[in-house]
Amino acid sequence: MIGLRWALIGLGVLGVIAGVVPLVLGLSAPEVNDAELVTVFGPLVGWSFIGTGLFAWYRRPDNRFGALMTAVGFTWCLSGLTVDTTSGVFLIGLLFSSLPFALLFHMLCAFPSGRLEGRFGRAIVALGYFITTVLYWTILLFYDTTRDEWPDNPIQVFEDQSAADALLNLQSVLAIVAILGVPVVLWRQWKRASPAQHAVLAPVYGIAAVLMVMLVASLVADFGVMSNDLESAIDIAGLICLVLVPFAFLAGLARNRLSSAGAIGELVASLSEREGRRRSLRDALADALGDPGLTLAYWLPDREHYVNAEGEQMDLPGPGTGRVTTIVEHAGEPVAAIVYAASLADERELVDAVGAAATLTLENERLDAELRAKVAELRDQRSRSLGAALNERRRLERNLHDGAQQRLVSMALNLRLARARLDDPDKAAELLESAAGELDAAIAELRELARGIHPAVLSDRGLDAALEALALRSPVPVELEERVGERLPEPVELAAYFVVAEALTNVAKYASASRATVRAVRDNGHVIVEVADDGVGGADPSKGSGLRGLADRLCAVDGRLEVEDARGGGTLVRADIPCG
Amino acid sequence: MATRVLIVDDHPSFRASARMLLEAEGYDVVGEAEDGRSGLAAARDLRPDVVLLDIQLPDIDGFQVAGELTANGQRSAVVLVSSRAREDLCGRVESSGARGFIPKSELSGAALEALIS
Repeated sequence: MIGLRWALIGLGVLGVIAGVVPLVLGLSAPEVNDAELVTVFGPLVGWSFIGTGLFAWYRRPDNRFGALMTAVGFTWCLSGLTVDTTSGVFLIGLLFSSLPFALLFHMLCAFPSGRLEGRFGRAIVALGYFITTVLYWTILLFYDTTRDEWPDNPIQVFEDQSAADALLNLQSVLAIVAILGVPVVLWRQWKRASPAQHAVLAPVYGIAAVLMVMLVASLVADFGVMSNDLESAIDIAGLICLVLVPFAFLAGLARNRLSSAGAIGELVASLSEREGRRRSLRDALADALGDPGLTLAYWLPDREHYVNAEGEQMDLPGPGTGRVTTIVEHAGEPVAAIVYAASLADERELVDAVGAAATLTLENERLDAELRAKVAELRDQRSRSLGAALNERRRLERNLHDGAQQRLVSMALNLRLARARLDDPDKAAELLESAAGELDAAIAELRELARGIHPAVLSDRGLDAALEALALRSPVPVELEERVGERLPEPVELAAYFVVAEALTNVAKYASASRATVRAVRDNGHVIVEVADDGVGGADPSKGSGLRGLADRLCAVDGRLEVEDARGGGTLVRADIPCG
Repeated sequence: MATRVLIVDDHPSFRASARMLLEAEGYDVVGEAEDGRSGLAAARDLRPDVVLLDIQLPDIDGFQVAGELTANGQRSAVVLVSSRAREDLCGRVESSGARGFIPKSELSGAALEALIS
């Protein structure tokens, strides 16, 4: 910033000198055409553009607008060198005599962001540069400057005045097209701008509109359709408009500051209203920034994501969405994000000021949103728990119906058949053997079902023994790497057991793993249970009801479930359960 | 001539026991099906005298299968079976078009005969 400051001071000194040159040259050569105009308007236009441009450049170094305005001032001063009779100096003035207008069009079309928006705007500016450089310098190869009571043209190589006139007419027509295109670009930008931006745009666009009319009139006058006096009056009026452009920019800036201060004042007053009379914070901020579509997102540090006022998770808009975001912080921590129209991106200072004024209210609303998010989560969790319980009952009914009940039915039929075949002892024995087989299978299925409801080994011998039993029953080889080594509260043991049971079931069903490891350790008042496998990975707790049910079961004991791809492949399921 | 029976049930152990029991009591078990759709197809092809139909099937509800069989004008008598108790069926047996209901554990030739005669 300090380097930029000195560079701008240097440019300022150069600007003062650049403005003095046409003044001195104009005074020393009054006989040259346009000497009076150059003497008066050379320094006036040059200094006003250079001074205001450097100020804008300093305030917004990343905005090209200041540099463009400064460039208009310098090239304007250079164009004043046409009043010098020295061949080289005159040539420099001649070469630069049209360029300030292209830079002026560029500056107006890019106001206030410094960027050209849309193809049409870029086309108009490109046309301006073409006319004032390529076309104009081509004309100079044919142009006899003595016709306009100027010194000899040092780069005239052709004597064909008709060609020069044809090219001049072409230049005038194209210039009129470019000049008429500028208001179209400005109108499009005006429609896109927010009310707050209108305050900045209005003075510049107003004077630009008058200036464009004067420039068109001046070009039409070149076709000889006006008296000399009228033509001179139009030229002078155009130059006065040109001098006023930088001051219109300053006026816009001042109005913006006033309207910004007013907007912030209204916002503060609105936020100070009593409860009940106060409008919503969103509405108040939308009014202050002039963006009816403004939205607020509140930061939840525990969950590390944003939510809306209802506590629902929301993503901040990315590039190309037409919306931009300003993060409001309090004590170095994010509180909320203000999401507003991209057209306000250049009102960053206003948005920051509005955010600062509303920080405490935003913090209050953030707490409300956090509470709503927790209520919504609890509601979801309760709903899922009820659904899981219902599903569990259905599963039990189905398992009983399809398993043990069917075997007992078959057994009853076989026993009845055996009774009817007592006259055939061999057949009766065969039927009784079949009935006994069905009974054994029914007992085994009932035992498995009972274990799924509440494993007896867990109640009798604790978590370590229950995990050993799970490891033994798993079809995939399981190594029990670490054990807790002590009894834990029953709800904790039960939650830890079901984490391992569900995880090992998933390993067997989906992981295509060759082995799995189980760890259960007590650490600083928590039980950490981990099940890792060397399978294909890619488990997603949000998709399977099993893992989601486990997460809900863990929530009931204030525990947390994490599922991630393990290092070296496979899946790692990790549960953290507080156990006092 | 023996009464021809088609058994429609998704549990193989019940189908095997029922076949053995009914054949021991003189019935001719002409076919088995494990779900509602294949039961409907088998009834159409085999034209049995009795369709012994489980209520809880994996694809179509047994009541619905009974309704389709009777609506198509087939001469087969439909007898519903289930491991559920009769009182759990809430009178749906009567409205399904079936001849009656036998709890699976009480299945016998006599119980079947009582319904179809």
